Amino acid sequence: MRNIAKYIIFSVSLLSLSACEKEEWLERDAPNIVLEEQVWNDPKMITSLLANYYNRLPAHTSLTTGWQSFADYDEAIWSGNGEGGNNIVSYNFDRWRLWDYSLIRDINLALESIEKYGTNLSAEQKTQFSAELRFLRAYQYFELVKRMGGVPLVTTQLIYDFSGDPSPLQQPRATEAEVYDFIASELDAIKDNLGNAGSNTRANKYTALALESRAMLYAGSIAKYNNLMDAPITTPGGEVGIPASRAEGYYMKSLEASEEIINSGAYALYESNPDLGENFYEAVSKKANNPEVILAQDFLTAKDKRHWFSYDNFPRSIREDNLGSSAITPTLNLVEDFEYLDGSSGELKTRTADGSDFIYYDNLDDIFADKDARLYGTLIYPGATFKGLDVQIQAGVKVWNPATNSYETVESNDLGSMYSDGKLLTGAGGPQRSQTEVTNTGFYLRKFLDPAPMASTRGIRSDMWWVRFRLGEIYLNAAEAAFELGQMDKAVNYVNQVRERAGFGPNSLTSLTMDRIRNERRVELAFEDHRVWDLKRWRIAHEVWNGSTSNPDAMMYALYPYRVVRPGDPRNDKYVFVKLVAPRFRAPRNFQMGNYYSSIDQVVLNNNPKIVRNPFH
Amino acid sequence: MKLRGISYIIIALGVMLTACEVDNYEPPKSILEGHVVYQDQPVGVRSNGVQLELWQPGFELFQKIPVYVAYDGSFSAALFDGDYKLVRLRGNGPWVDNTDTIDVQVRGNTVIDVPVEPYYTVSNETFQASGNTVAASFTIDQVNASRELERVTLYIGTTAIVDVNNSIVNVSLNKDAIADLNAPINLSLELPPNLSGRDYVFARIGVKTSGVEEMLYSPVQKIEL
Repeated sequence: MRNIAKYIIFSVSLLSLSACEKEEWLERDAPNIVLEEQVWNDPKMITSLLANYYNRLPAHTSLTTGWQSFADYDEAIWSGNGEGGNNIVSYNFDRWRLWDYSLIRDINLALESIEKYGTNLSAEQKTQFSAELRFLRAYQYFELVKRMGGVPLVTTQLIYDFSGDPSPLQQPRATEAEVYDFIASELDAIKDNLGNAGSNTRANKYTALALESRAMLYAGSIAKYNNLMDAPITTPGGEVGIPASRAEGYYMKSLEASEEIINSGAYALYESNPDLGENFYEAVSKKANNPEVILAQDFLTAKDKRHWFSYDNFPRSIREDNLGSSAITPTLNLVEDFEYLDGSSGELKTRTADGSDFIYYDNLDDIFADKDARLYGTLIYPGATFKGLDVQIQAGVKVWNPATNSYETVESNDLGSMYSDGKLLTGAGGPQRSQTEVTNTGFYLRKFLDPAPMASTRGIRSDMWWVRFRLGEIYLNAAEAAFELGQMDKAVNYVNQVRERAGFGPNSLTSLTMDRIRNERRVELAFEDHRVWDLKRWRIAHEVWNGSTSNPDAMMYALYPYRVVRPGDPRNDKYVFVKLVAPRFRAPRNFQMGNYYSSIDQVVLNNNPKIVRNPFH
Repeated sequence: MKLRGISYIIIALGVMLTACEVDNYEPPKSILEGHVVYQDQPVGVRSNGVQLELWQPGFELFQKIPVYVAYDGSFSAALFDGDYKLVRLRGNGPWVDNTDTIDVQVRGNTVIDVPVEPYYTVSNETFQASGNTVAASFTIDQVNASRELERVTLYIGTTAIVDVNNSIVNVSLNKDAIADLNAPINLSLELPPNLSGRDYVFARIGVKTSGVEEMLYSPVQKIEL
């Protein structure tokens, strides 16, 4: 009996010590570790790495990053919950701060690894991937320089040798001009190697040119307008500020890049919809068959790559969810900057010429008749529809009181409520003076809102894309650069092409002023992350937004439509409009000199004594 | 049994809800205060706009403590006792840049005045109200000739905080319109209807130096209407 037990123990222990012959069991690849050699020899993996880098490109305001800041300037105010951007007493000095060298490092590392490990890649593939990586690096440096001024130009991996002395890693800031020159030379070097022809989500030759067109325009205008200030913003080492003599060269580079895109015929202004207002909306917000968009950050619901922008900003009256909506609401300031089609100032006519009485309109949208079609394409005004649905914007009624010979204003806290005459009092879409999640200005956003069914619900969400570059901007870049270079005919021609698409008819302008170009950019590129950067590079932000309540550019206005209740009078049931400072708007926009360049984090300054501070902070 | 259960809960709650008496650190108690002065007179500025920096070296956390200057040129900060460095931030106030560091020893409440050299000062200002008109007379003194005068402005407001951002009405005189800088300058304005019915308003003269963002202001004066 004892012997049997011995045998059993012996045989079991023998079994446990034996091993399988199949060696691959031990030599399998770990499923959760990817080796460098695997990544850099597999175009698919490299592509997915590139997708990660594209996704990390910064934006100050986009559909996903910092979208709330659309309501912080003079395009819109905040009508959602909380205070949003309505009470910014002054912009913080670190507001546009960006010091993201982790993306730069990842790209530098990728550029080195692709050479080191990428043995199975063809030379062509290597060049193309490297070019694409360098495009992304140039893009990131442009984002850095436009916020911070000159930054250290790091183009290789920085490796610490543990010697106790980190000074080889501490690089000083390059001058602002050097960073712009670096961007230009990188883009010139890679533009022909990029491939990706026809893609509007990955960089191709024309994407590189588009970035060059924008970056060089920024550099040129900083060189010109900074030196026209009473006291140019500069540092002794040139980290901030570009010599005025460089302006012409930069403008010329910008114009060259723009014209190469325009003359290539690879892109065209979107002109598929005969309804010019809808056409302009589709030019930015329609993804299929869009010949205008050069580079976009795309989203796809089916792959769970989607965002909340439509949920947060859908018009209240037609929202599909029971929460959210109406956060970003365009201001009257923006609306009035859209000109009338005869070229006259876009100021809306609410009062008679002598100011004694309202102007009475038969329909809500009659006041917007004959306006620039881009107004319709950018925002939803009273009387306009979205997805064919009436947004119903009406603040209340004006009841005539014969005893006092004046109107009494009646508004309601109940959206969509009826007045005692059985007709509408306050529209389902507001505007309402104090409620949240309903417009406070009398307007709703249209650009970038997703018309797909249920796109504004929390369950489905939106896959509208974010446009980084499109041909409309390139035309205006070309026009501005040509204008600054004194090539007036060219400049007029380029602006006219953009205006023609907006309904102005051919050759609507015969001469140009800088103010006209600036206004054209404001209305064409509203809500595309341009406004604050444009005002900065023209060095007028501190004048336009000077923080004074008596400055109509710094205060944000609303337009409240009312229905007239005056039975027995021909003016009964007509509409009148009142302009007012948006009721939920608190502090005038206040841009200080220290905002032109953002402050550098004290931690960065402490770690690297070679970094000099920006002026004013 | 039920009672015992409740008593356990009470004991448990008693343990959970009590805490040590000693909680973190004492808050800073020493007050550093003073004025920004020129020739021992406080320099009036825009409230909440002009900033001085305090630095305290020797600790791992090296971040500035911003100290904002009030409209009358005063400032104050609650600090721990210690040695600080006070810096006049470049390009920030209506005065000539001076990056000399001022060492400040804070031992209990400390008073320190920060000397600055303005480009221009306002003196001999008088305000007079007659009917709906407010008239001001003053002289501008050039202290530092490195920058030009841009304009002078009379600001009227309803509170003691009157400056470029907080005023109901104002009237400006550009440099070109000033014939003689040494002679007294007169500015006057009509009060709008929403002000003329009041018992008093506050007035202040501001001087804008070309290329300097902040303005220098005279002391706020209350004007009985």
